[in-house]
Amino acid sequence: MLKSFLEGLDGLTLECEARRGQACSLKDLEALRVEFLGRKGKLAAGMGALAQMGPEDKPAAGKKANEVKNALTALLESRQAELEAEAAQDALAGFDPSLPGRRPAAGSLHPVTLAMQEICEVLTGLGFEVVAGPEVENDWNNFEALNMPPDHPARDMQDTLYVSDTVLLRTHTSPLQVRTMLSRKPPVAVIAPGKVYRRDSDITHTPMFHQIEGLLVDKNVSMADLRGTLTAFVRQLFSADTKVRFRPSFFPFTEPSAEVDISCMLCGGEGHVAGEPCRVCKKTGWVEILGCGMVDPNVFRSVGYDPEAYTGFAFGLGVERVAMLKYGIGDLRMFFENDVRFLEQFS
Amino acid sequence: MHISLQWLREFVPFQGTVQELAERLTMQGLEVEAIIDPFEAIASIVVGHVLECADHPDSDHLHVCSVDVGGPEVLQIVCGAPNVAKGQKVPVALIGTTMPGGMQIKKGKLRGVASHGMICSERELGLSEDHEGIMVLPETFAPGKLLVDALGLEREVIEVSITPNRADCLSVLGIARETALGFGLPLTMPALNLKEDASAGDANTVVRIDIADGELCPVYRARALTGVKIAKSPDWMRYRLIAIGQRPISNIVDVTNYILMELGQPLHAFDNKLLKGGVIRVAPATPDQQDGQSITTLDGQERKLLASDLLIWDGERPVALAGVMGGANSSVSDETTEVLLECAIFRPGTIRKTARRLALPSEASYRFERGVDQVGSLFALERAAQLMAEVSGARVLTGIAMAEPKPWAERSHGFRIDRCNALLGLSLTPEFCKTTLTGLGCTVDDSNAANWRVTSPPHRLDLEREVDLFEECGRVHGLDRIPAVLPRISKSLDSVQMRDTEFGFLQRLKAWAVGAGLREAINYSFVGTDDLDRLNLPVEGRITIANPLSEDQNVLRTEIAPGLLNNVRHNLAQGNASLRLFEVAKAFVEDTTSDTGARENSRLGMLVHGARHSQEWPWEQGEADYLDVKGLVENLLAHLRLGPASFILEPAHPYLEPCVRVEVAAKSGVRLVGRMGRVQPKIADAYHARKDIWLADMDADLLRELSRATKPSFKSLPKFPPVRRDVTVICPATLHAEAIEAAVLEIKPKNLESLALVAVYAPEGPADGKGERNLTFRLTYRHADRTLVDKEVDKEHGKVLSGLPQKLPVRI
Repeated sequence: MLKSFLEGLDGLTLECEARRGQACSLKDLEALRVEFLGRKGKLAAGMGALAQMGPEDKPAAGKKANEVKNALTALLESRQAELEAEAAQDALAGFDPSLPGRRPAAGSLHPVTLAMQEICEVLTGLGFEVVAGPEVENDWNNFEALNMPPDHPARDMQDTLYVSDTVLLRTHTSPLQVRTMLSRKPPVAVIAPGKVYRRDSDITHTPMFHQIEGLLVDKNVSMADLRGTLTAFVRQLFSADTKVRFRPSFFPFTEPSAEVDISCMLCGGEGHVAGEPCRVCKKTGWVEILGCGMVDPNVFRSVGYDPEAYTGFAFGLGVERVAMLKYGIGDLRMFFENDVRFLEQFS
Repeated sequence: MHISLQWLREFVPFQGTVQELAERLTMQGLEVEAIIDPFEAIASIVVGHVLECADHPDSDHLHVCSVDVGGPEVLQIVCGAPNVAKGQKVPVALIGTTMPGGMQIKKGKLRGVASHGMICSERELGLSEDHEGIMVLPETFAPGKLLVDALGLEREVIEVSITPNRADCLSVLGIARETALGFGLPLTMPALNLKEDASAGDANTVVRIDIADGELCPVYRARALTGVKIAKSPDWMRYRLIAIGQRPISNIVDVTNYILMELGQPLHAFDNKLLKGGVIRVAPATPDQQDGQSITTLDGQERKLLASDLLIWDGERPVALAGVMGGANSSVSDETTEVLLECAIFRPGTIRKTARRLALPSEASYRFERGVDQVGSLFALERAAQLMAEVSGARVLTGIAMAEPKPWAERSHGFRIDRCNALLGLSLTPEFCKTTLTGLGCTVDDSNAANWRVTSPPHRLDLEREVDLFEECGRVHGLDRIPAVLPRISKSLDSVQMRDTEFGFLQRLKAWAVGAGLREAINYSFVGTDDLDRLNLPVEGRITIANPLSEDQNVLRTEIAPGLLNNVRHNLAQGNASLRLFEVAKAFVEDTTSDTGARENSRLGMLVHGARHSQEWPWEQGEADYLDVKGLVENLLAHLRLGPASFILEPAHPYLEPCVRVEVAAKSGVRLVGRMGRVQPKIADAYHARKDIWLADMDADLLRELSRATKPSFKSLPKFPPVRRDVTVICPATLHAEAIEAAVLEIKPKNLESLALVAVYAPEGPADGKGERNLTFRLTYRHADRTLVDKEVDKEHGKVLSGLPQKLPVRI
């Protein structure tokens, strides 16, 4: 009796092992579990014989019954794990990571703003404060106080849009030099970003553009300080190996005056790229970027600073020019069309 | 300013290359913008020798020539010129040559006879207007030689950009001085060899000079020439003028231009027979006579005169606009035999005013405006008279008729070398500074080592002050050799800048807008009057531009909208159908209390048009509407910690409909921070927008003022749970949500923490405002110190349920 009992139990294990593969779902598997391990299942039925066994057989039979129960449980659990893994696989099969995300609308800054922010960041980092002023200006602030009396040929350098005989759209951010010095005592270290206007419109000029003016006034400021400031500035703005070249020039409100070239960022000052003439610097290796100089004593006089006690430097640069160089924009007119296909490139 | 290298070398023995010269001049402050070969277009023309010249068998005017062009083969060329003849040396364009006019020379047949090139006229070569026949060259020219070499044409010309302060460099002489300085070379002036002819008389018996005001004309000199024969100038002079871009006219006029270019002194030649009364008077115009006053200049234009214009008069009438242009009544013509040659100096400001007012800029006025060397002018007169005699066969009368009411006064300045070095950041030696200043033509008195006395030369009118001399020392040493030092930036504690600058705030607005998914536009500050009229904006208060570039840029924008709306038009035309734009910029209106007459107000404009979201899946599709633009405004106000805000429908607005005022409660009272709404469809049509354009125009200056008064303030987090109750209100569609919220707050239910609209249901139907809609509000109740029990919430919420229908025409 014991023997047939034991064989019966082994048979259960074999049968379960054979059939569990047919359970293709967790539902099938549950049915199988009930069939074998349920209260009225095959194991329970087999165990009925246990009660009729003699005490000498019971331990062995009981032990066997336990082993078979564990074996059946293990078989079914392993199948369950398999089925769960398969189900998880199936669920992932329907997951498409390549679908577009629910992207919030993207905004972007205008490239002029981008360049302007970058320039201001560098210069405020060097210790300059940002000041602002009106775009409609008096002739005195825009010209006369800057050593450009009426009928001075230097006025030809800037074609002016006038509102009246004495009021105009500022032709440069330099009137901020005047306004700042009139309202503050030295030392002064300011930058003035903003819109400026000229009566000039062609492929390389727009009637409105953006400038940033810098002004440092203190005791013993020299042109070496100017050169150092601008060198630090262009290195941070462009790259650490950017070289600076000072060319003598003329601005009515600075003396001496210089135009500043930097080594071309495209060809690295070589003048050519892969054997072709460089299109950015036109083979010269240098790119003109700003104008600067030592504040003219006449400017100090017009704002009531003592030119014997103080010296200073001023510089001004065009923001569109920087944006064109930095972002490779070829056509100036694109800046003010505000075509979104242009704007979105600066996200 | 174009300078020929060959001409320059007559003044300074510079042996380097044109590139070396350009580099040096540029680094000395005379920017060389280009190196030009003025005769590039005829560089491949060769000298030919006409060996045979026969009549064309089939034409009465063509000739068939055999021309030796130096090669192994003699070319057969058909030529139509009447003057072609055997034995001539002629310029020949070979097959493949492109002529200055763009014509390409090809092998061809003329009336059946093959022609292998073209024999050229002067006009075809751009050397003169002469097209009577072919150009005949000197017999000594060797066949096959390049024409440009055979003629000795100048091949190297530099184009120099001269800054307004360097009037002295507007001549070959001026550039030669800089070249001599830059390369340490001597400067040689041309030898003066003027032969006066006593038998011709004395200039002072012909004319007397009378200057009304020495300030306007410090010196006027004239020489008289007789027996002038007007003709073409000699080749060398014509080619030289052509090389620097001047058009040769006739020998007398060419000499005045030649001297102008060579020495920078403008001259004028009168036909002396046409001058009356034996006097030259320099005096302002007198338009106070009846009918004003005018002069016909030699270009045939009649010019109305003002009292500020300086004129040259003869005994009877004005004969020239001083320093600007000669008069037609006294100009040199082909019949001229007597010449009065004027060499004068005029006040720069006067010349500039006249030239600008009459839009008559000339090479002469350009130089007078900037200042001409008064001392050097005598040399220019003498050299011009000499050249005129040489090229026109004229005899020069003895003497110079002149008046010099204001002789040149030397100017000297102090020069402190210590200060020079301190300003430049250099350590220049006294030797260097002295050599440099002397090299510039200054006289240096260094008996006081610390403070020299430096007298500047008469051609350097720009050396007016000590600092100008500093610049010269720096420039000649090389500004590029100044070391780079970072300055110590010191600040006064009193003027330390606060962080919330105008610039900083506007950048903050921009950063917010980018986060809100808007793209920044930047538009011109000016628009056209039409742009403002289209939006029905008031005419009063506009600031117009007196000299606009065009009609669509003639007025400053009084609001931010016109620019953004123009961007809609542009983008729609490009097929960009959905727009979310913003702009931060100033609007301008007249304000008589401002020192500039303008009030400038920074605005933040926001515009949405077309699809609300990306057109891509999975966004649900929908078009931007009021709630989109309002959401932006609400988000902005929250970002700036402003509020509570009210949104008030305006009965009328010039271009928005509906238009909603945005008001914010602040300490200073209720403030209008902006408006928003939909651009009236008729106006939107004008921008080709078929969908609604929603726009918000916010006052950035006011937002800044209000937001700087706010700061984040911490409140403890609630410790006890809230109880939420929803209430759905059925109300007429005309009743605003705000009114219901206000009514709930008026009921003052205890422990009500917040109130939010969570659902709106409007049954389908005509949108005429007559229907009803359901609004569901969620009320959150909370007690700060304990957990609320249902019963007490029910009681308070019950007050709301029963109270609302009493206050408003609603059902619950």
